[in-house]
Amino acid sequence: MQGVVSQAFTLLTYYSLEAWLRFRRYRIPDQGRIRTEFAALVGDRRGPLLVCANHLTLIDSLIIQWALAPGWRLFVRPGWFFWNLPDKYNMSVNPFVRVLGYFGKCVLVLRKGPPEEARRALDKVAFLLSLGQSVLVFPEGGRSRVGRVDTRNFMYGVGRMLQETPAARVVCVFARGLGQREYSNFPRPGETFFIRMQRVAPATVSHGIRADRDLATQIVRHLSEMEQEYLENAILDR
Amino acid sequence: MDTATAFGKVVSIIKPFVKNTAAFNAPTDGTRIIEDLGVNSARLVDIILAFEDEFGIEVDDESADRVRTLGDAVQMIMQKTAPAH
Repeated sequence: MQGVVSQAFTLLTYYSLEAWLRFRRYRIPDQGRIRTEFAALVGDRRGPLLVCANHLTLIDSLIIQWALAPGWRLFVRPGWFFWNLPDKYNMSVNPFVRVLGYFGKCVLVLRKGPPEEARRALDKVAFLLSLGQSVLVFPEGGRSRVGRVDTRNFMYGVGRMLQETPAARVVCVFARGLGQREYSNFPRPGETFFIRMQRVAPATVSHGIRADRDLATQIVRHLSEMEQEYLENAILDR
Repeated sequence: MDTATAFGKVVSIIKPFVKNTAAFNAPTDGTRIIEDLGVNSARLVDIILAFEDEFGIEVDDESADRVRTLGDAVQMIMQKTAPAH
């Protein structure tokens, strides 16, 4: 039901959010090239898609969605309008945010809750992927407290998602504001974003929770390597 | 292996992941790994895998989900390391 409603309001939701992002004077240089690249990576094939990204601010999913596809494209290719898994607490700040979350394909999850909550969230993701939907997840499990891709304290849920939906294509996206020093609620106004993406194919010979960890580790490592490119560019630009 | 030995090994495996060191000063069978010791739920997977490596056992998801306290961990390990009859 939420998917149907979100689809009906895709253009309104997308362009409202884009207007807010532009009001904040956020910029994504080479956005056309980025969108072309994403379209080429994903191709015309429909089917489950898992977008795995680094996490530093509360609106990373908005930035990434905006970066990767224009609103009209999401209307004709609803599979590119990602489902998100934001923290229930963060999305409950006021009724407006909750409504926006509903239209924005947000599936609220309770972070740091009991294992049953984690299982419930994973079941929802598995269900969405089984319908050929796209889901945007942050493998670190939350905004990184170390200001970099956290390669030591990340979650393994994305590994379980891949085990439960082995047919899912995986695209890693690294997104970071050039002035972002550490985690924050929002990027600073006028921020310019560095965006990189890569199609990856994590694999493991393990099974069970060991495979969860193995697959998640590979994803986080890819994100960390993409971050390294960002850091090297930042040094060169100085 | 007796339960006291298993308990000692469980404690030493969990120690690096404990955030609430005060609660870890006097661990008991009833000490809850996440709530009392402050272990991150994601790190519980690392702990279970460390049990597998240390005791040479294989822990299925269902058994892993049942490990909530130090006593649960010991009980699971004793069951899985018990000689087959």
